[in-house]
Amino acid sequence: MRKQIGEVILDVNNISLSFGGVKALTDISFNVREHEVRAIIGPNGAGKSSMLNCINGVYTPQHGSITFRGQTFDHMDSHQVAVMGIGRTFQNLALFKGMSVIDNIMTGRNLRIKSNILMQALRIGPAQREEEKHREFVEHIIDFLEIQAYRKTPVGQLPYGLQKRVDLGRALAMEPQVLLLDEPMAGMNVEEKQDMCRFVLDVNEEFGTTVVLIEHDMGVVMDISDRVVVLDYGKKIGDGTPDEVRNNPDVISAYLGTSH
Amino acid sequence: MAFFLETLLGGLMAGMLYSLVALGFVLIYKASGVFNFAQGAMVLFAALAMARFSEWIPLWTGIANPVLTTFMAFVVAAVIMFVVAWLIERLALRHLVNQEGTTLLMATLGISYFLDGIGQAIFGSDIYKIDIGMPKEPILILEQMFEGGILINKEDLYAALIAAVLVTMLSVFFQRTATGRALRAVADDHQAAQSIGIALNRIWVIVWSVAGVVALVAGMIWGSKLGVQFSLTTVALRALPVVILGGLTSVPGAIIGGLIIGVGEKLSEVFLGPYVGGGIEIWFAYVLALLFLLVRPQGLFGEKIIDRV
Repeated sequence: MRKQIGEVILDVNNISLSFGGVKALTDISFNVREHEVRAIIGPNGAGKSSMLNCINGVYTPQHGSITFRGQTFDHMDSHQVAVMGIGRTFQNLALFKGMSVIDNIMTGRNLRIKSNILMQALRIGPAQREEEKHREFVEHIIDFLEIQAYRKTPVGQLPYGLQKRVDLGRALAMEPQVLLLDEPMAGMNVEEKQDMCRFVLDVNEEFGTTVVLIEHDMGVVMDISDRVVVLDYGKKIGDGTPDEVRNNPDVISAYLGTSH
Repeated sequence: MAFFLETLLGGLMAGMLYSLVALGFVLIYKASGVFNFAQGAMVLFAALAMARFSEWIPLWTGIANPVLTTFMAFVVAAVIMFVVAWLIERLALRHLVNQEGTTLLMATLGISYFLDGIGQAIFGSDIYKIDIGMPKEPILILEQMFEGGILINKEDLYAALIAAVLVTMLSVFFQRTATGRALRAVADDHQAAQSIGIALNRIWVIVWSVAGVVALVAGMIWGSKLGVQFSLTTVALRALPVVILGGLTSVPGAIIGGLIIGVGEKLSEVFLGPYVGGGIEIWFAYVLALLFLLVRPQGLFGEKIIDRV
């Protein structure tokens, strides 16, 4: 059965961002509805990652605002974003390379650990039980992502495709309401892409997590997205269902070039 | 044989103290990827605070019990180190999130000069003493096994024990607690750590406070041996070869590196010294570190990221 798409949960209003003279984003607006898979696509340098970094609080846009669950912000704060329930993965893997797969994913539970440092250090009852409880949750994620065999391996030693899964696992450990995925399939072969698509769809359908996804491979995106925003040179050139976008002449010319 | 063991034990105990100072470097490096140049200044600052407050507290409060006043001075000094950590985060590090390692290194260089200056401005620049009631007399052990037994300096023994306890506690804290995990996460990647809701500011205050307390204990022990004076800052320089040997990112590395250097110094001084006219103790550690840099730059246990220093 198809999931129910809900109300608007994240609303981006007239965001403009520039670095010195370079305009990365110009007057971008779009919204994301609860439980949907929303893709942001565009050629290289279109401003997709910049858009995500604005939502995530890494960049501060010069103009515009972002509304999340009814609260409006001029700019987001990285830490606050995590507290509000927005998780993310990174385009160029940003894992904790020296730590094991389990420890990496456990860091995602950080916000939910309530016992204080002293209790943790002494391993007093409640802290110990809490650790075990979170550990159990992390094991579920590891099973879900099919990386059981690597749980004790330092992440730096894993192949790229598996590192991408760990990155996703760490974000999932936060139990986010909205998951921002920055090119989760970049650099993968067809098989790995299919696996990753399946994980993203499963997360979306089983946990109802809203997914905002960046990708420049049109094929992948059209299959799994409910709605698509298309950016080109920092401007929005299309917004709608995959079919609408596919037939949009601006989008076609941005991807294929126009004849002059 | 007895003489060899005596030298070996002396070296191990001295090495434990090197480990303690080295640990200060490792803690901050692990948690923020910064080589903290100010570690030596923190040792001096903490020792000065403790020495002066153990003088002042009896004057101000009239409490005469030396154990109690020393303990109070330690607590006050620890609180001061916490405030220092908080100020460092507030005034310097907070503004440098996601900057290059070199930028942060330069910041700690500045902090180092600042702490040296303000420490002596507040607490004075004479030689002060810290008396934590450590026994000075040596003891003899294993008298049945060897003729004449083995002579051990009790003060060194206690100092080594204190250092060992602290080192153990810190290793457990780092490896086994959620906060320790968060600290390691921050060291690996600021941005990723933020994205999962680890508060960088809080982590930095914690780690600089812990490093401050480590500096305090190191300053207290070295201060009670040598007197609290400006030359304490060079104690940190003695720990530099230790972190190169053990690896900047490894807590066990700091411990083992310290022991190797301590033992190596003493043994080489005693057994090689006569052939080259003595003084090996002073340069042995640095030469060993140099060799390690040529052969294994990441140290015995470090990850290969030492090139960022």
